Amino acid sequence: MIRTEGLTKFYGNHQAISEVSLHVNEGEIVGFLGPNAAGKTTTMRILTSFMPPTSGTATVAGHDVVDDSLESRRCIGYVPEACSIYPDMRATQYLRFCAGVRGMGKAETKDRLDYVLETCGLQERANDIIGTFSLGFRQRVGLAQALLHDPPVLILDEPTVGLDPIQIVEVRNLIKSLAGEYTVMLSTHILPEAQMTCERVIIINHGEIIAEDTPQALTAQIREAERLYLKVKSDDEALPRLLRDIPQVTAVSPAGDGGAAYHVDTEVGADVRAELADFVVKKGWGLLELRPVEMTLEDVFRELTTEEEGVE
Amino acid sequence: MRKVLTIAGKELRSYFVSPMGYVVMVFFLGVCGLIFALTVSHPQAQADMRGMFHTMVFITLMMAPVLTMGLLAQERASGSMELLMTNPVRDWEVALGKYLAAMGLFTGLCILSLEFPLILEKYGDPDWGAILSGYLGLLFCAMAFIAIGLFASSLTSNQIAAAILAAFMLLFFWLIGWLSMSVSQSLGDVVKYVSIYENFQDFEKGIIDTKPILFFLSLTAFALFMTVRSLEHRRMI
Repeated sequence: MIRTEGLTKFYGNHQAISEVSLHVNEGEIVGFLGPNAAGKTTTMRILTSFMPPTSGTATVAGHDVVDDSLESRRCIGYVPEACSIYPDMRATQYLRFCAGVRGMGKAETKDRLDYVLETCGLQERANDIIGTFSLGFRQRVGLAQALLHDPPVLILDEPTVGLDPIQIVEVRNLIKSLAGEYTVMLSTHILPEAQMTCERVIIINHGEIIAEDTPQALTAQIREAERLYLKVKSDDEALPRLLRDIPQVTAVSPAGDGGAAYHVDTEVGADVRAELADFVVKKGWGLLELRPVEMTLEDVFRELTTEEEGVE
Repeated sequence: MRKVLTIAGKELRSYFVSPMGYVVMVFFLGVCGLIFALTVSHPQAQADMRGMFHTMVFITLMMAPVLTMGLLAQERASGSMELLMTNPVRDWEVALGKYLAAMGLFTGLCILSLEFPLILEKYGDPDWGAILSGYLGLLFCAMAFIAIGLFASSLTSNQIAAAILAAFMLLFFWLIGWLSMSVSQSLGDVVKYVSIYENFQDFEKGIIDTKPILFFLSLTAFALFMTVRSLEHRRMI
């Protein structure tokens, strides 16, 4: 449904994306993962014909986004990052405006309007002025306008940014419920979000695609070690050495946040928390904290980028 | 065309959601009313509007930048441009829709200002031919002013900058006529040809000539064309 070939974009001398080639199959939900300024928004803006690429091609539903942009835009529902909607309009008024701009007929507009208001939970505030909406509701209006013309492809740029935890869950569930019916490409810089909602993840950094796989495979591939965070009261110098002797522990390093805090790396799949706690208590070191360290996106990038450097 | 009208309707509506529409209305009708009152209270006052149209054109010249400054600059500043331009609309449809909204508001003001000739009609015997020709000239002027204002608005995301730029361009075309007095005969003719003031004078006298009509139409078309090009160019950056 979405296919790009060697997409490159320069802003003046600054290269935002470089040779981005990706594809999204019909009915798939794909996460576009990357830190800030990695080129996610640039790629999405090219796909939605907001701006053309410097070089390379992109097609959406078989229509070129530059040469046949009117058709490709018709096939896309787009929610931009920090989705900015006219604050002086009422929700339905705005959606009717969108319908008009997209050339939808009267009957179609009415049907779809009812549908999107219901899907996005906007019925109660349908006639309120958008300027009075919270960020979460504004995001819902954004989603509603994206679904309005029943496009086969949805492009969502950071759809959960700025929402509170409950709204985030709601939006994610909404996106998941669209699976199969729509082809969805959503960008995010939150790894668990991609893990939760997407069937496939494309990781972009410094404007280049560095990995592409299912979330599970990707984390398994990156996670060569489990990591625990351990904090004790004692400042016994021998502690790291003694810990390393516990079976399945592969490395112990200072956590770097002051005091006697350590990162304990273990073999994949091993859970040595019980042994570790026992050991610390027996030695009388005073166990203060022990928890698994979640793999953050930063870690993922560090892993992926250092691997790349290793190849060179 | 439905897309154009949808955009125009939305824009026209938003003039009256914000104070903008009302402020412009009060300003235009207020100043016109003041000038009208001063003109007719003169002891030898005549039942015509020749002097008034001159003022009305100048008010329009000052008003057009204010009316148009937000049309595109605001979209760019707030980021709503992104959603608008990723709709399946052509650049010219957006430009034309915005243009028609401002023209619609101005036409409404012209209709409201018909109160002045109607008052003349009640107390005197005005020459309606000259009055209608004056209004026609006013509309042609407004067409060009608003197109130039829209172009200025397409160049920046700062509304104030857009307004100042538009006012500067309009004043240039307004004042350039004065140059004709201090340059050579042949150059003076050229200068006169592109002066808004010179071109408007015929309408004021009740003469509808093709030359000034062509002038205003070409100025409008050129400014609108440049607006569309500017929208296209903005996509490229």
